[in-house]
Amino acid sequence: MPDPLHILIAEDEVLAAMALEDFLSLKGFRVTVAANGAEALERYGREQVHALVTDLRMPRMDGQTLIREIRDRDAALPVVVMTGYLTEDSDLKHERWKPLEILSKPVNPRIICETLHRMLGLPLEA
Amino acid sequence: MALGLDELLDTSGFVPHGVCLLWRPDILALHVASDMLIGLSYFSIPVALTYFVMRRRDVEFGWMALLFALFIIACGSTHFLMVWTLWSPDYVLEGLVKAVTALASLGTAAALWWLMPRLLALPSPKQLEATNRALEQEITIRRQMEMRYSSFFNNLAEALFIVQVLPDGDFAYEAINPALARATGLDPERLRDRRVRDALAPEAAASVISRYVACRDGGESIDYEETLDLPVGQRVFHTMLVPVKDAAGRVVQILGSGRDVTERKRLQAEVVQTSKLATLGTLAAGMAHEMSQPLNVIRLWTENMLSRLRDNLLEPQRAERSLTLVIEQTDRMAKLIDHVRTFGRRDGGGMQAFTPARCVQSAVELVRHQYALEDIEIIESATSAQLPVTGRPLELEQVILNLFSNARDAIIALRATDREAGRIMVAVSDDRDGQNVAIQVTDDGGGIDPSVLPQIFDPFFTTKEVGKGSGLGLSIGYGIIDGMGGRIDARNVDLEGGRRGVRFTITLPSQPVSSSDRELSHA
Repeated sequence: MPDPLHILIAEDEVLAAMALEDFLSLKGFRVTVAANGAEALERYGREQVHALVTDLRMPRMDGQTLIREIRDRDAALPVVVMTGYLTEDSDLKHERWKPLEILSKPVNPRIICETLHRMLGLPLEA
Repeated sequence: MALGLDELLDTSGFVPHGVCLLWRPDILALHVASDMLIGLSYFSIPVALTYFVMRRRDVEFGWMALLFALFIIACGSTHFLMVWTLWSPDYVLEGLVKAVTALASLGTAAALWWLMPRLLALPSPKQLEATNRALEQEITIRRQMEMRYSSFFNNLAEALFIVQVLPDGDFAYEAINPALARATGLDPERLRDRRVRDALAPEAAASVISRYVACRDGGESIDYEETLDLPVGQRVFHTMLVPVKDAAGRVVQILGSGRDVTERKRLQAEVVQTSKLATLGTLAAGMAHEMSQPLNVIRLWTENMLSRLRDNLLEPQRAERSLTLVIEQTDRMAKLIDHVRTFGRRDGGGMQAFTPARCVQSAVELVRHQYALEDIEIIESATSAQLPVTGRPLELEQVILNLFSNARDAIIALRATDREAGRIMVAVSDDRDGQNVAIQVTDDGGGIDPSVLPQIFDPFFTTKEVGKGSGLGLSIGYGIIDGMGGRIDARNVDLEGGRRGVRFTITLPSQPVSSSDRELSHA
């Protein structure tokens, strides 16, 4: 069995992060949780990460800044954005941030999981 | 040897006066004509004088004119006798008449000199005329003044009334103006001279009489707001009473003016409500976030459970923990919804005694998370204040939320100039003698330009760009705090690390004071 893929979650709401961590772990991912953008960027610098799942509004460093920082280092890292509100003309909808998917809150963890599978080129579960 | 009248009048031995004139007809004619004319004239003057005195009874010293008449008649008689003695030498008779004339003249002369000072003191017709003119002018001016004042009284939009303080200390309406009649629906004619207790409905009478008593006994002007049930319905008046005192310092009359502020009060409440809704609007984005958080947690945990259930991985303890968590999240949402609902309520929750620290706590809870996301930290200190204040808790909360919102805006604006900011300090404290509670909200957003500091509580004053601020927040806040009998002020402060900011201080009296019934004594 190959090493599980590593998912980095940036989410300041502990309870949401816990549930997501549990769910994705059950689906066979290795999961790391960071409480804000700055912490996530730091973990990203230290470990190999295969995909990022991030909230947008967070203290210390928000999701938008985190995505910009990460795109500077890795143009191909799959990113899943969870957001409560995103205007139609949001900058994140621009092609230059791809591969990036936006999911609105409340998020369905199954959809997150499916999205990650698709973006990472894994076979979809039955 | 006594002389008889006949002997006295005996003319024998005298020669007529004509002899001295050598009976020259020309000289005789001259004398006769002159004396006759003088005599006739002299006889006519007293008639004229007497006629004048009789007709003008108001003339002072009329008896003096009669004295003149007497001596002039006497004089006239001597002239007739002079004509007589040209031919008949009745010199004794002539002498006697002259003696009478002399006495009358002497008396008249003496009386005239005696009267002189009083005669001189009599006003001349010219003087009288001038006096009359001055009086007429005075009357015209007074009439104009009276018209002006009655015009004031009758046409001014301000409701005016005059209350008489009766000798027994009771009160009666002396007059009310048409504006008052219109505003209250009371009839001026029916009110005139009636005792206040009989003129008004019992409750309204008791209410106003207590104010009149305060004015009568205090002897000073008072002003207050009162809510009265009147024929036109319930109205709120801002009334001022001014006592009028007699020479002994006793209050004999009370002058009153009242302004119907019912509409203004309603508009004020309306503006507070509008601003509250505006505050709600600015909070909406934060609220959406606050709501989406628990909703998201619920979704994640329930999906998690469902997934585990399907895979047969859901142990009872895990299910219990997850469901408890879900219930907690629904509680969190319910509280949030409840808060927004009460905040938007029109009556603001009613007047009550409460501890301001609770409001501060509630306001902090409402925005803490939202602000944290923008790296703005709310630091609470000394929020253990216990003294109660009177007012509407939600209104105070609105004021504090508005201060937070201003602080946040200042911090964001300062950051745009690449300077560090991000702290809002809030403190609640009782003062040492237990009279006041102070709430301080301090930010490190750079402070307010000292030149605009005096205007920040003015309605519609804003330094924010169009569409960002209504310019009403602080003025509404000022009104709310004022309504609670407190005050709010702002000053710039230097903070540690070279940061600067604004400190708003709200001071509230801890004695319960009813805002609708505040009395200001004018010293």
